[in-house]
Amino acid sequence: MSKLDILLMAWQNLLRRKVRTFLTVLGVLIGTTSIVVMISLGIGLKESITQNMAQWGSLNQITINSFVQFDEEGKPIGEAKALNDNAVEELRSLSGVLAVSPGYEIGGEASWGRRQGYISLVGLDPSQMRQFEFETTRGRLLESEDRFNIVLGGMVGYNFRDPSKPMEPHDEIPWEDRHLDEHNPTIAMVDERITLNVRNNTGRERKFSFNVIGMIDPLKMDRSWNAYAPIEEVKDIRTFIQGNTAKNNRARTDNGYVQGPSSDDYNFIWVQSENIERTKDLSKEIRDMGYQAYSMADNLEGIEETSRIIQAILGGIGAITLFVAAIGIINTMIMSIYERTREIGVMKVIGATFSDIRILFLTEAGLIGLAGGFAGLGLSYLLSFVVNKVTANMFGPGMGAEFAISMIPPWLALFALVFSFFIGLLAGLYPANRAVKISPIEAIRTS
Amino acid sequence: MLNSSDPLVRIKELKKYYRVGDERIEALRGIDLEIPQGEFISIVGTSGSGKSTLLNIMSGLERPTKGEVVIAGARLQKVKERRLSDFRRENIGFIFQSYNLLVQLTALENTVLPLIFRGVGKKDREKRGREILEIVGLSDRMYNKPNQMSGGQQQRVSIARALINRPKIIFADEPTGNLDSKTTEEILELLITTARAHHSTLVMVTHDPAVAKRADRSIHLQDGMIIREERYHHEENR
Repeated sequence: MSKLDILLMAWQNLLRRKVRTFLTVLGVLIGTTSIVVMISLGIGLKESITQNMAQWGSLNQITINSFVQFDEEGKPIGEAKALNDNAVEELRSLSGVLAVSPGYEIGGEASWGRRQGYISLVGLDPSQMRQFEFETTRGRLLESEDRFNIVLGGMVGYNFRDPSKPMEPHDEIPWEDRHLDEHNPTIAMVDERITLNVRNNTGRERKFSFNVIGMIDPLKMDRSWNAYAPIEEVKDIRTFIQGNTAKNNRARTDNGYVQGPSSDDYNFIWVQSENIERTKDLSKEIRDMGYQAYSMADNLEGIEETSRIIQAILGGIGAITLFVAAIGIINTMIMSIYERTREIGVMKVIGATFSDIRILFLTEAGLIGLAGGFAGLGLSYLLSFVVNKVTANMFGPGMGAEFAISMIPPWLALFALVFSFFIGLLAGLYPANRAVKISPIEAIRTS
Repeated sequence: MLNSSDPLVRIKELKKYYRVGDERIEALRGIDLEIPQGEFISIVGTSGSGKSTLLNIMSGLERPTKGEVVIAGARLQKVKERRLSDFRRENIGFIFQSYNLLVQLTALENTVLPLIFRGVGKKDREKRGREILEIVGLSDRMYNKPNQMSGGQQQRVSIARALINRPKIIFADEPTGNLDSKTTEEILELLITTARAHHSTLVMVTHDPAVAKRADRSIHLQDGMIIREERYHHEENR
């Protein structure tokens, strides 16, 4: 029997009992839909949390601080290894590391034209900037030959105001709209000069001027309030600030941290890993080496665990529904075989082989599964769309345009179709074997 | 191999017992029968005489308890269960009292069903189906479903279905049992002429003596034994 003939015959047989076939397909439809929608919610949940976290810092970046942290009794937790060039080399040699940049962090008053403000200046290896997923919305990033050039975080402009005016135009802008281009004063700073005024502990004052060459996406929360300059320049400023007391070791600061062994040491070292999976392991490895390492990805473990559990529970509920649907298929097929006993007998008498009969009934069951799968997938897309629309309206535009609580990736769609088809086949196995075992004489005798 | 002089069917000391509870029912108690190629033989007997059992065993639907059945050179006892459907498809055509057409299929589809199981392509099998439906006089009913046809027309479809594989032997189990006398005559006529035209051997079970007399030979069964055998001569069929 040719495959096409089997398919056609199975299809005709299903159409003979339209209501029954429809109801059985409906069962599979509900089962498939509940599985797909449940899993899509799990995926969407995890994705939106990950996306949300990525706003607060790259998930591929590990920050190593020079601080020693103290517990409640004031004893140091662990030992802070010195953040020097040896450390940079050591970190660079780890596997899965794309880039390493040491850095300094200083703060100071700055002026931009007539406006005054405060700038938190981060010095880093300018050649590595691109590797650390910096992206400009205006201008360009730092290159290795840049000197006294600076890239601003997307919100830095809000720190500046004209002392002669009571209000700046941006004071009126609500917080959730401040990142928008039409309001953001930072845009006007690109290609202009800003001057940093620093005073060292002997009271001497000095000005350092920078050209603003670029601006970073204001939605990158962890970077939008800093300014980035080549490390050598920032080191010079730092040396000036520390002045004669620069060689004071382990100066304890107010906030419970202690500086590393030498004042020449870097404030921090950034490590960029090749992917999120590697970041988690790398972060732990670096901590085990004795550094104070931290990464946004450290939190992912727990989130992933939670979302796995949620997915398992939701998927389980869907699986039960599909299981019930499978029983529906078995029931329908057995009913159908009872009704068609005579027909099966006739087919056997006139030359249908065992495998013809088996394949015919398996095909019917498989078609029910597949039809339910397709319809269920369609309904899932619809439900997913509605759920996303509703939640997007509820939580508002603050969550970002791509926020979706229900996501159906292609693999899930494919999985739904294949799975429902196999559920159909599986449910058809027992009825098909019953059909094969029908004795043709018995079947024909019943009139 | 089968020589043309060999009988198409050779049955020796065929016995068939059924066990119903503790009781043994002896359906066939020693049948010896040879049917030459091209013969039209009728098997006559009352209900319970064993005629249907004999037909079932000859067509490979049931296994004999004892004895030997050779059909078209094949010892049926030796043919594996799974191969029996192939054997039937290649050698045997069936006609039933209640037609046994598939209700969801048209006359044409019912006719070509054996070819579908054989894996013959749609174009070829429908061409052959049309030819044969024309022979049985149903060229205007090809796309009718069974419930749109009379009993006589349905039996014509089932004759067409039996003939489509050009079988060596056709088994007909009370083919006219559900038909009125006029239609019975038409169907018998058709069955006999088409079987002859296809050089098929025709084995017909009936309880109607008038129908049985249309055969070349008639054997009478009673309590699982052949009790009488008659030969008829029909000039008009020759």
